[in-house]
Amino acid sequence: MTYVEIVILLAVLVGSLGLAIIFGRYIARMIVYEKRPLEKTLGRVENGFYKIIGIDRYEQMTWKQYFLALIVTNVIAAGFLIVILIYQNSLPLSPKPGLSFDLAFHTAVSFVTNTDLQHYAGDQQLSIFSQMVGLIFMMFVAPASGISAAFAFIRGFIRKEFGLGNFYVDFTRIIITLLLPISFFSALLLLFLGAPQTLDSTITVGTLQGGSQTITIGPVAALESIKELGSNGGGFFGANSAHPFENPTGVSNVFECILMLVIPLSFPIAYAHLLGKGRGISILATMLIGFGVMLALGLSEQSGPVGLETRFGSFGSTLFLESSVASNTGAANASLSGMSPNAVIGFFLGMFVQAIPGADGTGMMMMIIFVILTLFLVGLMVGKTPEFMSMKINPKDVRLAAFVFLIHPALILIPSVIAYTTDNAQSILGEQTTPTTFTQVLYEYSSASANNGSDYLGTSANTPFWNWSTALVMLLGRYAPIGLMLSIAGSFTLRDRKEVVEPIKTSGFLFVGVLTVMVFILTALTFFPFLAMGPFSI
Amino acid sequence: MIITTGVAYPLLVTAIGQTVLPSQSNGSQVILNGKVVGSELIAQSFDSPKFFHPRNSTDSGSGVDPDIAPDSAISQIHAISSVTGIPVNALKTLVDLDIARNKETNALVFAPDYVNVLNLNIELVKQYPEVYSQEISAKGGT
Repeated sequence: MTYVEIVILLAVLVGSLGLAIIFGRYIARMIVYEKRPLEKTLGRVENGFYKIIGIDRYEQMTWKQYFLALIVTNVIAAGFLIVILIYQNSLPLSPKPGLSFDLAFHTAVSFVTNTDLQHYAGDQQLSIFSQMVGLIFMMFVAPASGISAAFAFIRGFIRKEFGLGNFYVDFTRIIITLLLPISFFSALLLLFLGAPQTLDSTITVGTLQGGSQTITIGPVAALESIKELGSNGGGFFGANSAHPFENPTGVSNVFECILMLVIPLSFPIAYAHLLGKGRGISILATMLIGFGVMLALGLSEQSGPVGLETRFGSFGSTLFLESSVASNTGAANASLSGMSPNAVIGFFLGMFVQAIPGADGTGMMMMIIFVILTLFLVGLMVGKTPEFMSMKINPKDVRLAAFVFLIHPALILIPSVIAYTTDNAQSILGEQTTPTTFTQVLYEYSSASANNGSDYLGTSANTPFWNWSTALVMLLGRYAPIGLMLSIAGSFTLRDRKEVVEPIKTSGFLFVGVLTVMVFILTALTFFPFLAMGPFSI
Repeated sequence: MIITTGVAYPLLVTAIGQTVLPSQSNGSQVILNGKVVGSELIAQSFDSPKFFHPRNSTDSGSGVDPDIAPDSAISQIHAISSVTGIPVNALKTLVDLDIARNKETNALVFAPDYVNVLNLNIELVKQYPEVYSQEISAKGGT
């Protein structure tokens, strides 16, 4: 690495960790309802919202009620988006033809599940109204749902009968006092760096040689900031963050990397405040080691220049994409086909683990699932009853945690096989199946199931089979693990805590080492054969 | 929520952007002799051999990459010099100036060296108006 590259890497790491320390403390206060800065003003604004929606802020929910409230909110939001996308031709602001039902359904599912897989090109197919009122709105709903779930999940471990909280209260507070203010200031910064922000959909300008050029434009800065902050990843333009309007310079590139990583990295810090410093830092360390492996893979080989943007080069593209996939954002500042095979293996690793550091909220939940599985396996090895937070882990918890882990490979591998046996893979990628085309199919379902959203196929996958199958995978990949994880938290919150020494310590170097190895072994054992047929053979 | 996040938030950013940062908000348009000649962030095609040329649109991630690598600019210098009669050294200096300018945009270290094709060509027209008088008035720009 050159010294310039080291400076860029340090800027991203120091920037995201530095902000994570601040936001982590703030998130910890949100989880246990402690006083935040400007508490009075924030409280008043929040109370206004509770009154409008008609909720009792003191009402506590069981895990089932919490999960149901999350589902109901998400279904309503998705329904709203489907209607907007289908009828955008009769809505204001540069109307475009409405989307087909399967594409509208796919897009709504994709955005509500925090995936943002795009089988359409936003700049060509969506009106400004759809991008703004439809997608920007949904880009707040999706991460707020994931973060809420993580709040409830973490509360399950705090102290007996602390309660999981109230979904509507969490959801409102997360949008109004966390996501919205950060997005607002980030949007202004991106605007300053060159991202446009206007309600016009195109501008026509003269060219230097006296011709004329029509350029697609819109409220890009406002969308871009929540796109990265909320681990969404769905671009205003089909070219996503490779487009100069979404990501104008090297500075915006670094800033967007920081935005993608900051909330996922804030969670272990919040965890450290609430459940023990050592435990939180150990989880943070494990996440960073995993991310480090992805980065090292990506940087071990030169990518491009075909498919990459000149202003980012191989280093800037690799750093951005590994950050984006690690945080399950799925934004892309280069064409994936321009990336080296090693970089792609790094992407798969991030999507398979989903917790290094993973998406806003759900990444942290997934990491705790790995902690529980690790405690169980290590407990078997040393012959001790596994305990977590001074509570016994019972067989049912392990079963549920194993389910959470196994849903993911099932959702990737089964549909990939179906796509090939029904000729739907061949129909868009050609009759000849090569490691490259197999990689693209495997990537599509990995991305859908991990709620990541980066992909190779893009608009070519806008066929009923691909729209319906990936939509189903996204739904199951999102809500099944969240439901199972909330049920685990629901049973833990009722359990007795004995304040004794942990039989297996969940902090310190040894634990970080064991947890990291477990994460890699579990993932490698599950996916290795498929990687061997795909990216390893390219 | 829809009104707060989907309407109020983007409109507020738009209002601030259009007031405080109108240039960026409207796509970083560049002006030469009082006429808009493009956006410095979006590539435009040049068919005259007197100009520097951007990458083919299929070669980049976005398809509208406005920049080329320094090597690519330098490799075009000889051909441009022989068509226009502008000395090679002068062209080399303009390329270096553009690289320096882009370095500033990127706070010196946040991007590799690159050349913005449109800005470089505008600089050529400014420095050598007589050489390019035909090109820029040929189609009666808007």
